[in-house]
Amino acid sequence: MIWATWRMHRSVFISSIVVAVALAIWLAVTGTMEANSWAIFTSHHCSIDFPGSSLVCMNSLSGVGNFSSANAALCGALPALLGMVLGVPLVASEIQQGTNRLAWTQSITRTRWLLVKIGVGALFTAVIVGALAPLVWWWTDAAQRSHIQPANFDISGVVEVAYALFAFMLGVALGTLIRRSGWAFAACVPIFALVRAGVRLYIRPGLVSPATASVSASTSVGNNDWFLNAGFVPLGRSNPAPGQTWSSNDSIIQNCQNFAPGAQKPAHGATYCEKLNHLHYVVQFQPASHFWALQGAESGVFLVLAGILLGLTVLAVRRWRT
Amino acid sequence: MSESAPALETAGLGKRYGRKWALEDCSFRVPTGRIAALVGPNGAGKSTLLRMAAGITKPTAGDVRVFGRSPQKQTVAVLRQIGYLDQERPLYRSFRVAEMLRFGEKLNPDWYDAAARSYLDTLEIPTTSKVGKLSVGQQAQVALTMCLAKRPALLLLDEPVAALDPVAREGLMHILLRSVVDHNTTVVLSSHAVADLATICDYVIILSASRVYVADDLDYVLASHRLLMASSEQAPALPPGVVVVSTGSSERQTNVLVRVEQPVTDPSWRVVEPTLEEIVIAYLREKGPRNLVFGEPRDGGLSEDVR
Repeated sequence: MIWATWRMHRSVFISSIVVAVALAIWLAVTGTMEANSWAIFTSHHCSIDFPGSSLVCMNSLSGVGNFSSANAALCGALPALLGMVLGVPLVASEIQQGTNRLAWTQSITRTRWLLVKIGVGALFTAVIVGALAPLVWWWTDAAQRSHIQPANFDISGVVEVAYALFAFMLGVALGTLIRRSGWAFAACVPIFALVRAGVRLYIRPGLVSPATASVSASTSVGNNDWFLNAGFVPLGRSNPAPGQTWSSNDSIIQNCQNFAPGAQKPAHGATYCEKLNHLHYVVQFQPASHFWALQGAESGVFLVLAGILLGLTVLAVRRWRT
Repeated sequence: MSESAPALETAGLGKRYGRKWALEDCSFRVPTGRIAALVGPNGAGKSTLLRMAAGITKPTAGDVRVFGRSPQKQTVAVLRQIGYLDQERPLYRSFRVAEMLRFGEKLNPDWYDAAARSYLDTLEIPTTSKVGKLSVGQQAQVALTMCLAKRPALLLLDEPVAALDPVAREGLMHILLRSVVDHNTTVVLSSHAVADLATICDYVIILSASRVYVADDLDYVLASHRLLMASSEQAPALPPGVVVVSTGSSERQTNVLVRVEQPVTDPSWRVVEPTLEEIVIAYLREKGPRNLVFGEPRDGGLSEDVR
């Protein structure tokens, strides 16, 4: 059955390998170009703020970040696409050609038939995406992109494998339920995008309790941290009071005369107002040190979702009515 | 496998799709070693019946047993004993013929590869050809080979001769007979072309409009039906004890196909032995008297069909 699965979906397997190799070469080339530009930039003590300070600095900066968004999009989309392209026809194509009735009347149960097919497809997806992961990581570093920032987090570490497996299982489940590859694929793409966006926006920030810093405590949120929220919150709290949002107290600060009575100069920032209203300015963020915890938790979320889809697919195939 | 269990047995078997019954209250048994013909028009429920026997489709009502086992509950045991040819003859069209055979070899513990190859060889189907490039008839032969290579105890063949030319039909009949003789295989095959089957089958199941009308030995079915003919002007009363299956009258002549339990001696009727085809058509045309499954208790009363 392992051989049969490979043979049945051989063209998809082989074309995925070709695409993966092409992506790897592309990342290696563009990553090397980025790394070289950054090396010159650093060795000449150039500054981002004054790129025009010398011709060398200008030239090197023009070689930086050229392919950043394109590569990030490629690295984000291709693994999910691989999962879908492999997953959607896994069962749907057999139903469309009626070959499920051939396979189900050989000497193995349809559950085993399904599990072997899914196992082979999932393993292949995980290996291809997993093999690309270190290269994508290297490229992200070469392009000086912080791994915890959402756009980079999505293509760093192990979550890509979890996304691809989820995309694969979503494809298998939709293909089984819809029974048409084309329609299943058309449904798969928006559902996957919605789930990914939903998790990124609403679930990821709280997967690991975020760090907070009172700005006066001189802890800065650097480029290597993932900024979540900031605002004036009651003293003694690190987040808005119940019933309040991060911007609840903005109006208080804005409407407050920011001068101490009799003072000629404004107090530093909003400090006077803050004190008057028993507020302080708090920044909430995920520090770079939370990276692996977040990666693990988010991968877990998608693997659980993939597991639920696996269960649904097994049930659907077992209760198949022809 | 209990040796005494019939190869295929159904009891009150039914399958409903939505509100429509594709097969209803179907009860019969095919003893081991028979070649049973499942005849009926398109849409009569033949495919549904075979699919339930192969375990692909789940019955809505009743029970189906293959050598005493339920295809739903003892799936693998039943699958190992059957060779199922689907009506649509699904094959992996991108596979080469040899890869199709390898597929069968990988998925079946019992697989007679050499026999399969030599069979394809006699049909001059090269194993290096792509399945999708073969003619419809050749694809049908490959699909059939996949069934035969399991050397199953029960062959369930849905319209096996449909795509075959007359020579290939002849060849298939020969193969099936050999298989029955050599390996005590039981064959259940469906067809709407009765003439093809009459030569080899020894058991008949007549299915129409989701119902089983007749299920018995061919010899008994032939012996227990008679075609009565008389001139329409002076059509005499029907002999006592006959059950009308169908009546066909024209201005000149009245033909009545009846089921009999003893010879008709009434000299006012001309009595003819009908062919299997005539019997089948009589049942299908008139939708027959119901519940006339042979071997079951029958009351012998006249049907309402008598006009």
